[in-house]
Amino acid sequence: MSNRPKTEDAERPARQPIRLTLLPTLAAVLWLPQAGLLAQAISNVADRMSWGATILPAATAAAIGILRVILGALSERAGHQHARARVSALRMTAIMALSERAPLDRRAIPSGEAASMIAEQADSITPWLARFGPARMKAVLVPLAIFLAILPLSWTAALVLLIAMPVIPVFMALIGWQAQAASKAQLVEIGTMNAFLLDRLRGLATIRGLGATDQVATRVRAEAEGLRSRSMAVLRIAFLTSAVLELFAALGVAMVAVYVGFHLLGDLNFGAWGDTLSLAQGMFILLLAPAFFEPLRDLSAIWHDKAAGQAAQDNLLRLSRSERTLPEAGLPATPPASPGPQAASVLVAGLRFRYGDDGGTLPAGLDFTLAAGEHLALTGPSGAGKTTLLALIAGLDLPQAGRIEIDGEALTAETAPRLRARMAWIGQSPHIFAGSLAQNVTMGRKEIGQEKVSRALSDMHLGAMASIRGAAPIGEGGNGISGGEALRLALARIAVSPAGLVLADEPTAHLDPETAESVTESLLALAQGRSLIVATHDPRLAARMDRRISLPAPATVEAP
Amino acid sequence: MMSRLWQDFRPFLALPDRQARRRLLAGAALAALTGLMGMALLGLSGWFITATALAGLSTVTALAFDVFMPSAAIRLFALGRTAARYGERLVTHDATLAVLAALRERLFRAWSAAGAARALALRPARILFRLTADVDALDTLYLRLIVPLCTGFIAALAAGITLAFISPLLGLAIFAVLILSGSVMVWRISRAATPATLRRAALIEGLRSGVIDLASGQTELLMAGQLPARCADLGALETRLAAHETRLNRIETGAGIVFGVIAALLPPAVLVAAAMSGIGAPGVALALLVAMAASETLAPLRRGALDLARTRLAVRRIGPGLAPPAPSVIPPSPKDGVAVCLHHVTLRHDGAATAVLGDLSLEIRQGEHIALTGPSGIGKTSLLQCLAGEIAPQSGEVFCLPSARLTQRTELFHDSMRGNLRLAAHDAEDAELISALTAAGLESLFDSLPDGLDTMLGDRGQGLSGGQARRLALARMILRNAPVWLLDEPTEGLDGQTARDVLARLHRAKDQKAKDRTTVVTATHTRREAENADRILVLGQGGILAIHIRGSPGFDAALTALRPD
Repeated sequence: MSNRPKTEDAERPARQPIRLTLLPTLAAVLWLPQAGLLAQAISNVADRMSWGATILPAATAAAIGILRVILGALSERAGHQHARARVSALRMTAIMALSERAPLDRRAIPSGEAASMIAEQADSITPWLARFGPARMKAVLVPLAIFLAILPLSWTAALVLLIAMPVIPVFMALIGWQAQAASKAQLVEIGTMNAFLLDRLRGLATIRGLGATDQVATRVRAEAEGLRSRSMAVLRIAFLTSAVLELFAALGVAMVAVYVGFHLLGDLNFGAWGDTLSLAQGMFILLLAPAFFEPLRDLSAIWHDKAAGQAAQDNLLRLSRSERTLPEAGLPATPPASPGPQAASVLVAGLRFRYGDDGGTLPAGLDFTLAAGEHLALTGPSGAGKTTLLALIAGLDLPQAGRIEIDGEALTAETAPRLRARMAWIGQSPHIFAGSLAQNVTMGRKEIGQEKVSRALSDMHLGAMASIRGAAPIGEGGNGISGGEALRLALARIAVSPAGLVLADEPTAHLDPETAESVTESLLALAQGRSLIVATHDPRLAARMDRRISLPAPATVEAP
Repeated sequence: MMSRLWQDFRPFLALPDRQARRRLLAGAALAALTGLMGMALLGLSGWFITATALAGLSTVTALAFDVFMPSAAIRLFALGRTAARYGERLVTHDATLAVLAALRERLFRAWSAAGAARALALRPARILFRLTADVDALDTLYLRLIVPLCTGFIAALAAGITLAFISPLLGLAIFAVLILSGSVMVWRISRAATPATLRRAALIEGLRSGVIDLASGQTELLMAGQLPARCADLGALETRLAAHETRLNRIETGAGIVFGVIAALLPPAVLVAAAMSGIGAPGVALALLVAMAASETLAPLRRGALDLARTRLAVRRIGPGLAPPAPSVIPPSPKDGVAVCLHHVTLRHDGAATAVLGDLSLEIRQGEHIALTGPSGIGKTSLLQCLAGEIAPQSGEVFCLPSARLTQRTELFHDSMRGNLRLAAHDAEDAELISALTAAGLESLFDSLPDGLDTMLGDRGQGLSGGQARRLALARMILRNAPVWLLDEPTEGLDGQTARDVLARLHRAKDQKAKDRTTVVTATHTRREAENADRILVLGQGGILAIHIRGSPGFDAALTALRPD
């Protein structure tokens, strides 16, 4: 974790270096000399020069055009690099924050939502960051440059463009709202459609069991058609507003062309500061007119990127701001300790802990010791703080007062990562990782060999399942695995670890009695030669421990 | 390569019906018209200005110059272009949404076929994510590639014809340059982008599942000391993702350079060539502006070409779903009086090394009630799935009357109470629905609902207790008029009293049914679910360990071995 990105970096407002936003504008402005040269070439033809007189201006125009293209592409690349680097920083900050958030935090964003924020949604940040700034700069500066280039030649043509100019920002604002509203509505609609599909696909077994696939398929079609008609209602307005922009742009070009034509014909003798435009000047103006409106069209085209990109960035920043973190968060990483094979002892003295306003509390001043190799049951009603106590011993959070020692060493933010290497944890619904059964046992711990894994799996009665499933990935979120199997898998994870202290949080809570019984046996076999603390409601499991501490809702501790 | 591309896309050609096809064509035609109008607007303006400048040199020609027609045409093209563009966007988007609607239905049908449904059950979120992302990726094929290709082709054709009036060779040359550069570049961009696009799609999925593992398995990873390693893995993944995206950006901007250079070279070249032909300044201006407008149609192709690889990936994953569904494995009906008949049946899960059940033979008479017992994972559910036609036997023959299956988990859908019930009988009247609810013991719940049958059941049927959800599932079984009921642990997770009430109602419903009595096969661990059975089948060691007939000592022993309440 040495190269962890700083949160401040991610929080910094997204702004591109000025050169990245100016370079595309510079490239766009190169069209002015290009247009001037092309107009001159045509004027040369009109002046009855030989065709050879067109070569120099045409070739120069082509050369400038190539320069323009290369500048544009370079700035596009630089803009992308810059934007992509920021997306990486945002993603990594969010991932770090996820890994460091307090496991007990109940207000945390659900993992599925976090995953889609980090994986897919973040995708929309890059185009926004890379393209929006330059496009906005172009929309301001390019029309201005063209206006200033035309004004000395013909105030009328400049005026025509100027009249279209204030109209367009008004419509742009309208389009901005429309596009934003449209894309939001669209996203909601598509989200609803996808949620509908997800709901029905999840229940496919039921649908098939009832022979209702046909009926539901028809319904899917009806929903999709509904999505279509509602989307079109929104798009119709959005397209209409951008059509108005296009209309003004097209009319602007047409009016400039007609004005210049009539002026050259001698019918409109005003507008060129008392002079008459030459063909080259008239042609120059005509070539610039479409370019005057183009940046606005580009900007409106990527306007919806902004809404999606900004929302995605806000989500990542929200994810990065977890209120409570692990004790060691922000401290330099400690090298992993090699745990000794012997059972660990635990000392708990004068513990006081209150988690937020709605979180768990502990009975004040809790004291007990656990000798090495001892098996202890924590019992008591729900909300008495059993899970909280286990979490504190595991160093998932630090107590407000009192101390915890593992093998005589105090548990602090600094020592927590090292002391945790002496412990193993099993929760009531263990998470199943994407990957094979064996990968789920090793969890990436490279020191655990294939043999050890096979032995642990067969010790936990998962041998048959391992031979049936082999190296095939087990289902997402453990789908296709029963609650009992998931617990055995979690036990196998502990079996391969050298931890001297096993912390088990209601391991039999969601199991039927038979499975609970056999999980209990496996847990006990596993805990041979290790210390064990089990938080449980299950009297049969509690009875198998050496000792029991009952945590009542009021703060008293008893040791039978 | 070309033929593979054709193969990938072929299933989709049949997708749009005639009306949709007309719309797709109309959209492309309108897009082409938009391009043409834009080209005409620019070309005519250039000609007009130059011609007026020349005419304006002397008063005689100035007076003789017809200004009305060109200036009116310029305004017409300006208005027409806007109208065509608006129409194009409406029609193309509507056509796309229509095709996607048809596609969603077809895909749902494909995913609900037996084999696919089981694969889906293993990884629902991932497959759904893919499915929706793939469907969304398909709209780029038409909007970003086919439409710009049509527009580009028509523009190249129009420019070629226009310039052919100046010089046939020039017309041919510009047409050839535009068509060749457009098609070669689309081809090259999509080829160059394919590897990075495919890896990128896989990496995004990896990132997604990695984040889920990190967030949901945080405590496990932390305690195993693997949290920093997981974060580092995700960091490495993100670095690779960024590298692929940068590569794609390079391809895109590189293509931008090629198209840009063509657009920078072509108009001046056309200008010089037109001047060479001696057509005069107005013609040269027209040629220049037409060439400019035509070469501008190249740029939009790069986005579509770049997306082609993603679209192809989507098409390849979705395509097989569009093939006619595999022959159904719904078992044929057995001979009269028999509900279920198995002959030397072997069942094996997809990709599993060993069979779940081997060489199983069994006959169940109509109206019989069978309890399947045995430890978890021994094959009870697999046997029920086989009878329901969810799994085809690897060998042997299966005969079974049409069945309704009550799955272990009660799935309620985000829909009204009526919609949830009508899954079982789509044309059932409200009275039938209410009587089924009553039979299932839900009359008091129903009376308490403010909107009656219109009450929405929350996401995944929230708002009902476990017992109520089970009763609703029972009501659906009652509505579904099937001669065989397959029940998978029907009262699992219910308290004893509720469970007994549900079971009693289940048996009442079964016995009340018409002339042919319902056959029931129950997979169970509990005594209460098996005690009404006519026979108990104990599964084990890949087959039937024992069959106990009601009244035999073995039957009582088998019952006692089961779990009490």
